[in-house]
Amino acid sequence: MTDATINADATTVGGTGEPIIVCENVDKLFGDFQALEDINLRVGKQEVVVVIGPSGSGKSTLIRCINRLEKHDRGRIVVDGVEMSDDVRHITEIRREVGMVFQQFNLFPHMTVLENITLGPRQVRRWNKRKAEETAMQQLERVQIPEQAAKYPGQLSGGQQQRVAIARALAMQPKVMLFDEPTSALDPEMIKEVLDVMQELAESGMTMIVVTHEMGFARSVADRVVFMADGQIVEVGTPEHFFTSPEEDRTKLFLSQIL
Amino acid sequence: MTAGPTGTATLEPLPPPEADTGAAARLGPRRWVRENLFSSPLDSVLTVIFGLLLAYVVYRGLRFALVSGRWEIIRVNLTNFAIGRFPREQVPRLWAAIFVAAAGIGLGSGMAASAGPTSRPVDTLRRLAPLAVLIVVLLSLARTPTPALLTLCGVAVLVGAHFLGRRLPARLARRVHWVYLGTVLAIFVVLTQFGGVAWNAWGGLLLTLFLAVAGIALSFPIGVLLALGRRSSFPAVRVVCVGYIELIRGVPLITLLFMAGFALGFFLPVGVPRPGLVTRALVAFVAFTAAYVAEIVRGGLQGVSSGQVEAAQAIGLSPVKTTRLIVLPQALRNVIPALVGQFISLFKDTSLVAFLAVLEILSVAQLVTQQDDFRGQSLQAEALVFVSFVYWTFCYAMSRASQRLERRLAVGER
Ligand SMILES: Nc1ncnc2c1ncn2[C@@H]1O[C@H](COP(=O)(O)OP(=O)(O)O)[C@@H](O)[C@H]1O
Ligand SMILES: [Mg+2]
Repeated sequence: MTDATINADATTVGGTGEPIIVCENVDKLFGDFQALEDINLRVGKQEVVVVIGPSGSGKSTLIRCINRLEKHDRGRIVVDGVEMSDDVRHITEIRREVGMVFQQFNLFPHMTVLENITLGPRQVRRWNKRKAEETAMQQLERVQIPEQAAKYPGQLSGGQQQRVAIARALAMQPKVMLFDEPTSALDPEMIKEVLDVMQELAESGMTMIVVTHEMGFARSVADRVVFMADGQIVEVGTPEHFFTSPEEDRTKLFLSQIL
Repeated sequence: MTAGPTGTATLEPLPPPEADTGAAARLGPRRWVRENLFSSPLDSVLTVIFGLLLAYVVYRGLRFALVSGRWEIIRVNLTNFAIGRFPREQVPRLWAAIFVAAAGIGLGSGMAASAGPTSRPVDTLRRLAPLAVLIVVLLSLARTPTPALLTLCGVAVLVGAHFLGRRLPARLARRVHWVYLGTVLAIFVVLTQFGGVAWNAWGGLLLTLFLAVAGIALSFPIGVLLALGRRSSFPAVRVVCVGYIELIRGVPLITLLFMAGFALGFFLPVGVPRPGLVTRALVAFVAFTAAYVAEIVRGGLQGVSSGQVEAAQAIGLSPVKTTRLIVLPQALRNVIPALVGQFISLFKDTSLVAFLAVLEILSVAQLVTQQDDFRGQSLQAEALVFVSFVYWTFCYAMSRASQRLERRLAVGER
């Protein structure tokens, strides 16, 4: 950790100190409803940022704007030097470098685990089958379910499915991983296996933005915690700062409700 | 949604067969009968009543088929039923086409079997049973042994090609659709090219099958494109697709057929050669069925969750690849029963070309009862029962095939 993360605010950068994701004055509207308001956030290479906040505060919308699953209305989003615009080439380039894991896994039910994982590398990175499958097996080893390669998603437990989803995202060899409440749809006994994989990933130096309600994970793995409410970033800080001496009243209220 | 305007109802997706056979085996026949047929007084009464009714129907049916039916009319006209006015001196081409089909189907099924899960021979036989029964019935009605011998040769070709297909390297199995496509092309070349017979001169069962197969093969891709176009982000494409679908669905099929048959001249520019009646009828069937396929596929598309599309986008797949690899396979799998129902409707609706004076199998059945030898003898029942039997075997085979496809694609589904 660098000095920057200790007195962190939204525009300073953690990790290696070199920003890989930059959001400047980002607004997002759904009709008249403002889902994101003047978001400023810089994420450094190898940094792990955990986003918390009440339901409906715009956490999902924020990370979905980063890979263009939602189109932001104002402001700038730059990922690894590429500015997000309507240009399809830019969007594709960014999506290639950004992996995403969803709350509902969203595995492709008509494909085997191996096919799920090799799809992106083969179709988007244009690797041959052999290379794609070798990489896929490495990722499955990494999430510790190589023996499930030939099964279909419907034959796996929730925890296994989410680990396959992580492997699928990793197989594209992304520079950034986005997680949108990856454990919220899981039975309690499966949460740990997924969090363990994510922790291992963080330790390996992956840049990650994680939306989660798992405060234990935030405390032990995050470099910075971002608290959002009503579409705005209310407070940003290190986990120690955040869980021991939060400054904003809304942060205190939220933490008192969930801790 | 899937019923044709002629009142031919779609086959509902039946539950997969052989679901209950286990129960009888476990209970033993006597207990099974007691528990299922005579478990209460009311049950017993119903069993007896329906049992008698069933016995009577079966008795009358068998009596008609084996004793009282005068099947001479079918025997004499078997070739008419099979091919209508197809020139007789060209019949060897038909046998050649059948051999090509046998080789293609055998090769394709063998390649598929070497790659996919192997099904037991018993299951294969059971699946082919309705068509086998049809072939046996047809051959038993023939007056010379030649068709039977040629059929035996065809079966030999089929089996031989099947085992050849199994021996081909497994990586070729992915190309099995090319084998089928090639087979269809080869059949067309054999029948129509190099002095052959254009399909406007075909008739009987051959024509029925041609209209059905070509109708399905053409209306399916067009229907899928219409369904996709309906969701397009270009308003113009959307309007055209919705307009087409709603227009067609508001018009009875028979009207389309009449328009294609008699009013086409008003729509075609002067100087364009007028297509034959069979071609016109085919256009009407395709135009009609495509609209219904589009609606069925639209339902399937709606059933694919937005999360699937987002996951594909997040990986970086282009919109076209997302549709082709993620959305369509799931959407189509979910609507197989409805699609097959629509195609079964189409198969039966081909009989409507009778109104255009095109001689498919049903019109042949009408005509033969007017022949000098048979006029005034009330042989309609024999002719119609025979044709119904032919229709039924194909529709039943299609329905069974759809159930099998569904089960195979449902692998791993929760
Ligand atoms: N596609 C959408 N259309 C309209 N409103 C939306 C849409 N997606 C999200 N919203 C609204 O935006 C707000 C933020 O949503 P979201 O980012 O999902 O919140 P969170 O993930 O923090 O629970 C919510 O009030 C939600 O109702
Ligand atoms: Mg959310």
